[in-house]
Amino acid sequence: MKKGVTNWPVTILLILGCVTIFFPLYMTVIIAFKQPSEMTNSVAGALAFPSHWSLSNFAEAIRVTDFWHSLGNSVFITCATIVLTLLLHSMTGYAIGRSMARKKKYKLLYFYIVSGMFVPFAILMMPLVKQTAQMGLDNMIGVIILYLVFYMPINVMLYTGYLKNIPMAMEEAAEMDGATTWKTYWTIIFPMMKPMHATVAILTALGTWNDVMTPLVIMSGDQNTLPMAQLNFQSQFGTNYNLAFASYLLALIPILIFYLVCQKQILNGIASGAVKG
Amino acid sequence: MKTKRSMTHKDKTLLFMVLPAVILFALFNTIPLLRGAFYSLTNYRGYGTYDFVGLRNYIDLFTDIRVRNSYLFTFKYAVAGTILVNGLSLLLAMALNSKIKAKSFLRGAYFLPNILGGLIVGYIFSFIFTYILPAAGEALNIGWLQNSILADERFAWIGVLIVGVWQAVAMSTIIYISGLQTIPADIYEAGMIDGAGVWQTFKKLTLPMLMPFVSINLILSTKNMLMVFDQIMSLTKGGPAQSTESISYLIYRNGMDGGQFGFQSANAVLFFVIIVIFSVVQMKITGKKEEQL
Amino acid sequence: MNQKGLAKGLAVMLTAVSLLSVSGCGSQNTTDGVTEIELVNYKPEAVEAFEEIERRFNETHDDIHLTIESPNEAMTILKTRFIREDYPDIVGIGGDINYSNFLDADMFMDISDLELVNEIKPVYMDMEEALELLPKEGVYALPYAANAAGILYNKDMFEQHGWEIPETWSKFISLCEQIRGAGIQPLTFGLRDTWTALSPWNSLVVSLSPANVCKEVNAGNTTFTKEYRTTAKKIKELMQYTDGNPFAYGYNDACTAFARGEAAMYTIGSYAVPQIMSVNPDINIDTFTFPANENEQDNVLTSGVDLQFSVMSTCENKEAAYDVLRFLFEHDTVQLYLDNQNAIPCMEGDFELPSMMDGIQSYIEEGRMGDFHDHYYPSEMSVDAIIQTYLLDNSSGALDSFLSRFDNEWRRYNRDLIQRLQEYEEGER
Repeated sequence: MKKGVTNWPVTILLILGCVTIFFPLYMTVIIAFKQPSEMTNSVAGALAFPSHWSLSNFAEAIRVTDFWHSLGNSVFITCATIVLTLLLHSMTGYAIGRSMARKKKYKLLYFYIVSGMFVPFAILMMPLVKQTAQMGLDNMIGVIILYLVFYMPINVMLYTGYLKNIPMAMEEAAEMDGATTWKTYWTIIFPMMKPMHATVAILTALGTWNDVMTPLVIMSGDQNTLPMAQLNFQSQFGTNYNLAFASYLLALIPILIFYLVCQKQILNGIASGAVKG
Repeated sequence: MKTKRSMTHKDKTLLFMVLPAVILFALFNTIPLLRGAFYSLTNYRGYGTYDFVGLRNYIDLFTDIRVRNSYLFTFKYAVAGTILVNGLSLLLAMALNSKIKAKSFLRGAYFLPNILGGLIVGYIFSFIFTYILPAAGEALNIGWLQNSILADERFAWIGVLIVGVWQAVAMSTIIYISGLQTIPADIYEAGMIDGAGVWQTFKKLTLPMLMPFVSINLILSTKNMLMVFDQIMSLTKGGPAQSTESISYLIYRNGMDGGQFGFQSANAVLFFVIIVIFSVVQMKITGKKEEQL
Repeated sequence: MNQKGLAKGLAVMLTAVSLLSVSGCGSQNTTDGVTEIELVNYKPEAVEAFEEIERRFNETHDDIHLTIESPNEAMTILKTRFIREDYPDIVGIGGDINYSNFLDADMFMDISDLELVNEIKPVYMDMEEALELLPKEGVYALPYAANAAGILYNKDMFEQHGWEIPETWSKFISLCEQIRGAGIQPLTFGLRDTWTALSPWNSLVVSLSPANVCKEVNAGNTTFTKEYRTTAKKIKELMQYTDGNPFAYGYNDACTAFARGEAAMYTIGSYAVPQIMSVNPDINIDTFTFPANENEQDNVLTSGVDLQFSVMSTCENKEAAYDVLRFLFEHDTVQLYLDNQNAIPCMEGDFELPSMMDGIQSYIEEGRMGDFHDHYYPSEMSVDAIIQTYLLDNSSGALDSFLSRFDNEWRRYNRDLIQRLQEYEEGER
């Protein structure tokens, strides 16, 4: 562990290990570009580049899966969930975190909400289908509200944990100046929790973007999210692997771009969640 | 609403701040949980009329072979998965935290599987298991590789496990890396001077310092592995020969689709109880370890 | 972010939630004197035919507006809609256990006063009656289209090699040997999709066991161990005549393999034909009845109701729903559907049958047909997976453990029904 000396054996092993990560993605890309007639049973043929880099599979996949529509729905659900999550969960985490030590009721409240982490979706699923429909929430709004509830335990835990790093003195000073608790929270504490907001936003975004089950059982009608469109696509056009893989790739691209752009923030966000949460 | 005098303005604000969340949580978590428990005492199909059957569904749970197999599969999967995920990600984390070239690229690459949706990843791997690997087995003349792993009821769970681990390692690795970064470098230098070997350093220095992160990772990965669903849906649909039916999958399949709303509600209640017990025990054990070390 | 804005935002959000919960439900039935009728059918593969039917209906009817939906994963969607208590007016589903369960839950309207009831072939009306878990007065479904399952074969390949259509089990086995001898794979399977195991199973069992075997077992008069033994033996024999690992590939793969001429025969229903043709539009396919017996006269064609329409008991505009049904059963509409789906009409009348049914036409005309046995199997019992398990089991006790498992699980999953049947019988006496 001496400074400055590169550990080459480990670097090489790690680069070789990357094959396990990129091989499936490589397969996805080349199959998405090939035509059904190019699919062969030999290894060399399967691994080879397509003879033409044609976008026709993608055009077809966009058409049959109504890609833009499902993309719009997925973006709406994820963005709305993140915004509401940051506002609501941080506020809840703050109120609980600051009162827990003094008041038993808040301590109980904390455990009440955090215990939600152990509730498997499977047990809530069937009653929720009935309940959301009765409330007229069998739509994207309902899905967003449910995400707000499902991610509440972990997010509240993260926020209350992070609060321990913020000294009470800040608020006490503000309150001395006559600021209300409400105002102190939004003007001082909320901005100070920025690193934790990043963590929460990333964890929530990854979870909601890729979730299939909640929209599958809750949303009625022909509204699709991106992963759901793949599920439907799979049962409908399963023979054409090229079309299917073009569609998978399309569904992966938005999150891949997002990841390429925000990679650093995402990795740091998760890391700080683990250290400070 | 009249408030007591003793409640200060600040208390009121704090109460107001938790209220929306608590209402939502009660409405969409606690109430459905209770309703699920209620349905578990009926023979409800999900529609039409139903009767109370008392604890019959619970008694049936313990005699139902399919339910028992789904628990066996899920636990086998979760135990193997947790061990593999934590072992691999610990190794990866130490490698990625050492003095290497292209560090940020490599870290980024190894996290990639985590951002991809389980369903789509499953479809991609399904193709690889069904077509690419058997073709490779044929070309290289490796007998055991020529058969799709997903087609054999003894090994299909390993196929699912590979995909599950492939995705889960990413998150654990990041958490372990952040843990390793909390360990000050001078501790190692002290260790070096004592002439401790790599294994000794790891056992005596790294692992104890990492213990809180080990416990986070154990809990997170066990929980995720126990709830496996997307991979089953896209890789095996529970087959072959019902050998890869996870608890979540069985509840979804037979509860929503198969007219066993009541019975599978009972199954879900049991699953919930088991997860709670599991988590409490795990926290107790890792908590004790942390204190000891 | 300031405090006021946030407070407002929260308030808006909470009001929005509470408002949505009030305004969300309830669909309007009439707008400007036009009655809305919603039909949900479970065949997404027929979406083109249904879009055309919907268009034609709305063009010719000013007083009724028809919406037809053909969602994917339709049974799950339909069941979740029922769980939500969000009912369409008419459903188009298959004549199977789902129908039995919905009917048993009193979800359908008695439509015996609709004159169309008399125009349906009696054999299909009898199938409907057999699907009633407990005997029930009235008519609750109108069979629309039937499918048939036998063995699909590659006609060109057969003609080229001079192979003959077998009429008995032993001739069938020797045909398989003959095909194998020519270096061709006799049968293809897609057993990774468990449900495909039911296709050969149904075709065998319909000729080898009495039609009412499930009812008889429920009544305690016989057991599956006794009735299904021959079928179980024969289905396993089929496994010898496929190459590779039949459990590695799914339905789509098997359709593709058959379409590309990689196998001579495929034991699957006529519903697979559009799928196969999509891979190879030029393939020449025909069907023959599964020769399950040694005596040709004992062979029966598996044919069941693939699509039937029921009016939901919650439907508020019975007359409008009847008008929709009348339109659906007009000669041209039926023919449009048949052409699109290669289906068999359930209605009396002069219809053109698709060419891939030539080989089974005589059975259809003579009415030598029996319903798919799996239409009576509870879906949560997953008989398909039980059969798949048995086919994978190569131990010597496989047959006996399969049969006893079948009986045991049958009793477990039909416990409530068996009890109710007993109570019903006692009430009758």
